[in-house]
Amino acid sequence: MIGSNAQLLQLAIVIPLGAALVIALGLPKRFGTKLAGAAFTLPALIALWLWAQYPAEGGTGYHYLSSVDLGLGSFGINLKLGLNGIALPMFLLAAIVGLAAGLFALRSQAERLKTYLLLLLIMHGGLLGVFASVDIFFFYFFHELALIPTFIMVGIWGGRDRNYAAMKMTIYLTVGAMLSLIGLIAIYVKSGANSFDLIELKRAIAAQGLGAATQNNIFGVLMFGFGILVSLWPLHTWAPLGYGAAPSSTAMLHAGVLKKFGLYGLIQIALPLLPEGAAHWAWKLALLAAFGNVLVIGFVTMAQRDLKQMLGYSSVMHMGYCFLGIAALSTLGTGGVVLLMVAHGLSVALLFMLATSIHHRTHTFDLSEMGGLAQKTPVLAAFFVAATMASIGLPGFANFWGELTVFVALWNVSPWITAVAVAGVVVSAIYGLRAAARVFFGQPTEALQRVTAAHPPADLDWVERLPALILLAALLFFGFYPKALSQPVDQALTPASTLFRSINHHR
Amino acid sequence: MTMLQHAILVLLLPLASAAVIALFLRQRGALASYLSVATAGAIAAISIILLVHGERDFPNASWEWLRFGDFTISLGIKYDDLAALMLFIVGFVGFLIHFFSLGYMHDDPARARFFGGLSIFMFSMIGIVLADNLFMIFIFWELVGFSSWLLINHYHHKQSAADASKKAFIVNRVGDFGFLLGIIMCYWLNGAVSFGELAKLGETNHLAFSTLVPLLLFCGAVGKSAQMPLQVWLPDAMEGPTPVSALIHAATMVAAGIFMLCRINVLMVADALSVIMWTGTITALYAALCAITQRDIKKVLAYSTLSQLGYMVAAFGLGSTLQGGHDALLTDAHGAVIGNASGFIVLATGVGAAMFHLTTHAFFKALMFLGSGSVIHGCHHEQDIFKMGGLAKKMPITFFTFTIGVLAIIGMPFLAGFFSKDAILYLAMENNKAVFAILAFTAVLTSFYMVRLWKITFFGEARSKEASHAHESGLVMTLPLIVLAVLSIAGGYSGVFGKLAGSIHEMVPEAHGSAHTTILLVSLAVMTIGAGSAWFFYKPSINDTLEEKSAGLFRLLGQLKESFDNLYDYYVAKVQQRFAMLLNFLERVFLADTIIQGAARVVGYIGLGARALYTGSLHVYVYWFLLGAVVLWAFATGVF
Repeated sequence: MIGSNAQLLQLAIVIPLGAALVIALGLPKRFGTKLAGAAFTLPALIALWLWAQYPAEGGTGYHYLSSVDLGLGSFGINLKLGLNGIALPMFLLAAIVGLAAGLFALRSQAERLKTYLLLLLIMHGGLLGVFASVDIFFFYFFHELALIPTFIMVGIWGGRDRNYAAMKMTIYLTVGAMLSLIGLIAIYVKSGANSFDLIELKRAIAAQGLGAATQNNIFGVLMFGFGILVSLWPLHTWAPLGYGAAPSSTAMLHAGVLKKFGLYGLIQIALPLLPEGAAHWAWKLALLAAFGNVLVIGFVTMAQRDLKQMLGYSSVMHMGYCFLGIAALSTLGTGGVVLLMVAHGLSVALLFMLATSIHHRTHTFDLSEMGGLAQKTPVLAAFFVAATMASIGLPGFANFWGELTVFVALWNVSPWITAVAVAGVVVSAIYGLRAAARVFFGQPTEALQRVTAAHPPADLDWVERLPALILLAALLFFGFYPKALSQPVDQALTPASTLFRSINHHR
Repeated sequence: MTMLQHAILVLLLPLASAAVIALFLRQRGALASYLSVATAGAIAAISIILLVHGERDFPNASWEWLRFGDFTISLGIKYDDLAALMLFIVGFVGFLIHFFSLGYMHDDPARARFFGGLSIFMFSMIGIVLADNLFMIFIFWELVGFSSWLLINHYHHKQSAADASKKAFIVNRVGDFGFLLGIIMCYWLNGAVSFGELAKLGETNHLAFSTLVPLLLFCGAVGKSAQMPLQVWLPDAMEGPTPVSALIHAATMVAAGIFMLCRINVLMVADALSVIMWTGTITALYAALCAITQRDIKKVLAYSTLSQLGYMVAAFGLGSTLQGGHDALLTDAHGAVIGNASGFIVLATGVGAAMFHLTTHAFFKALMFLGSGSVIHGCHHEQDIFKMGGLAKKMPITFFTFTIGVLAIIGMPFLAGFFSKDAILYLAMENNKAVFAILAFTAVLTSFYMVRLWKITFFGEARSKEASHAHESGLVMTLPLIVLAVLSIAGGYSGVFGKLAGSIHEMVPEAHGSAHTTILLVSLAVMTIGAGSAWFFYKPSINDTLEEKSAGLFRLLGQLKESFDNLYDYYVAKVQQRFAMLLNFLERVFLADTIIQGAARVVGYIGLGARALYTGSLHVYVYWFLLGAVVLWAFATGVF
């Protein structure tokens, strides 16, 4: 059974990439969309199956392991796939958001739909690959595979300012990725393991240990490299601009999943391999995240008039909580970050999707030109309110658990920083509710009345409802039953707790 | 079925009802309303079964919800006498209000959303009541905030309703900011957040006390129970349909703050208690002064609710500061000593008095809110009392029951409010004369504004077309009024309250001998002075008599209400929003553009990258940028 599950994991990554290849070879559009639909759906089913099959006492190790030699063995590189307790929730997230983004894209009536789907499939395959990779070379490779289509999609199908946005995103994210690569290669060199296999690297470093100076330098490179990719303040400015311009499915997949690559890298690679480096940087990271991402960006979010930019900024703010959880250097904080990554991925994808649905009806993203839409589209309003409530951390949605556990963990770092972080909850309630009220409640503005007179808005149809329901159901399920996510994470982090304890002891 | 299963059922039933309505009954208002009302009926029935059955503190009623390392959050049920009393109030009064809504909301096009919202509220509120630990109470605390938002926003096409709901949610979140920090601090201080464990630590003198923990936790109560300075959301919340005002903003949710304080009694220290006592006392006085100038029938009741909540909060703060030597004065015997810290003894009399008044207030305030709903319904949605008048004859049942509510709140002997208010006044007299004086003066004001409301609404001639065409509401609406009127009379007697409250009843302080006489005389005097002056002062007219006779005083009282709103409006518009705009400006100028364009310009000046940049080849540019980053990095880490 284990063997076949390992093959299923491989299959989940091969399916979208293979479908992209077939479409590229010139499949007629009619079959192309059907194939794409199947290629978005099957990985989600596989991910659900693998998640259901994952043992309750999963321990710290990897499951569903497989290794394919692609001829790079002499460099210590193998296509080694598998999932541990941290990778499993992320893999599931990628599959669910990919399915929703794919379904939404299928009916998006984008120009050159086939090419759009092709790029989206490559991105999806890359995303699944990132979280299934045990080999850090492929971990990086899959990330690049997903990143390049992002730039192209923003540049071609983007909205306002797409050229500038695409350029800026490319510059920032390429720099971030390269810094991360430098850090990863440094780990490879310093470990002396002669392998990019994370399991081997851990073993080698545990055996010989890395000096404090080495750890500090490598962790710093990784923190800023990954930090740029996750929009650590003040290196975040690509995010609101990029998401503001990106087509909806791209924004869903990037903000929802691909962005988490950096956080995942910090948790899965940097924290266990460079614990002293992490302790060295933790305080600085906490300060940047609390005052930059949470406080400053929280207020900046409040000042936004453009719905998509507002969502982009709010996403930057929520990444602050993730960094804070990492800076807490504890099982609780790290576990909270994994919960928050999954929850934020689902909710931000839902919000970006609904923002597009709103735009279809109002022909604008400008919040000051909307109002009263709930009278015409109650179902859309209900979904948007639910997604907003999720993103501002209302209990009952998955996000709450992530934020709560991060806050509790943070108290040990500093009660004052905890207070700043918790104050962010009030700030996010202000901008979240304000946006919902401006779009949906009160009376429509004159500008909107003119638009709706010309094109009477219809409520959410089933094509838009299905992906929204998938995302919302996931948010509610994990909101009511967080153990489904936290149990494998807790198992995977068990040895980390002793590790963290020794770090905190030294501090 | 075991009693524990009953308790679980009572929590899950309304959730199921809300889910079914949201998924299947959105277009079927009638069906949705029947389902929601039937659910509320079942909740009331089960809450009575649980109460009567007598089993308390079920063993093994806690389940792990989430675990990371040695941190766990559990979902558990604590059903003691306090929860039993509160569950009865929520279940029974809730059911009456649901039933009333069948009539009141009958013609509303969004009935399904309304009744779905009521079911979500019941779920959240019952969660607070049954929660066995602070994290769980916080979870449901936030959820009642959400249901309150949803229901205030019921008429969402009205800008005022949209604004009021937003304000309620955000102000509550400000309170919850402190609440959550308090819970986290309590966790790290004591390693426990479950009420059972905290009590055990208290009994064995292992509880770590800190003034900050109860004060931070109290922030939650300040938000939810609308105490100063976070009282501003409650009057605005009257934008919601009247049954919502009765259920959420009078009888149950706003009282959750007091319930929560009683739950965390064991953590209290003297300094925190005096802050709580003064917060409640000042709120009671302030709100009573605001109530005098209101024209909107619901706004008068809203300020009255604020004032009565202040009474309860003050009662909690008062009772528990009693020093050890004083307990001889009190009949309080059971579980009196519940904590011991730094030489003083914390007593539970405050819990008794606060919960007693919470109970009677739930009955008579729900009664008056529903009565006002009946009046508003009868007057075709006219809410200005000066445009009413003469309703006593046109709406006899509403008038008669409303009168009982008024008599109960002003403390007429032998009605429920008389007993519970006396308990609080007695507590104040024994402990703090200043508080006693303020609360007694507040009682004068209470009878004053209540009799004003009652006289202007029901007596004299009809002063508008709406009022002259008023008609009595149907049985669906008057039946709940009658039941609540009976409870507003009977609820104060130990035969009734003792059955409902069990050991909580034994904590209610009771005056004996000369103290008894003093309190009786004081309370009769304040009631007579307030009620009498209002009755003779106010003339049935289209204008407020106070405004005509003493415009200066009227304006002053009006400003008292306005000042807070103005202050907060100023803060939001002029401070918060401008600060946000400033940061946004800095973000755009210094971060978004300068860095990236500056880098581009540097590259351009060097001349090497210029062509590459403008011909669109990004790679060269990226590598230059990277080189710059590496150089900066090298500087930063001190390689050079």
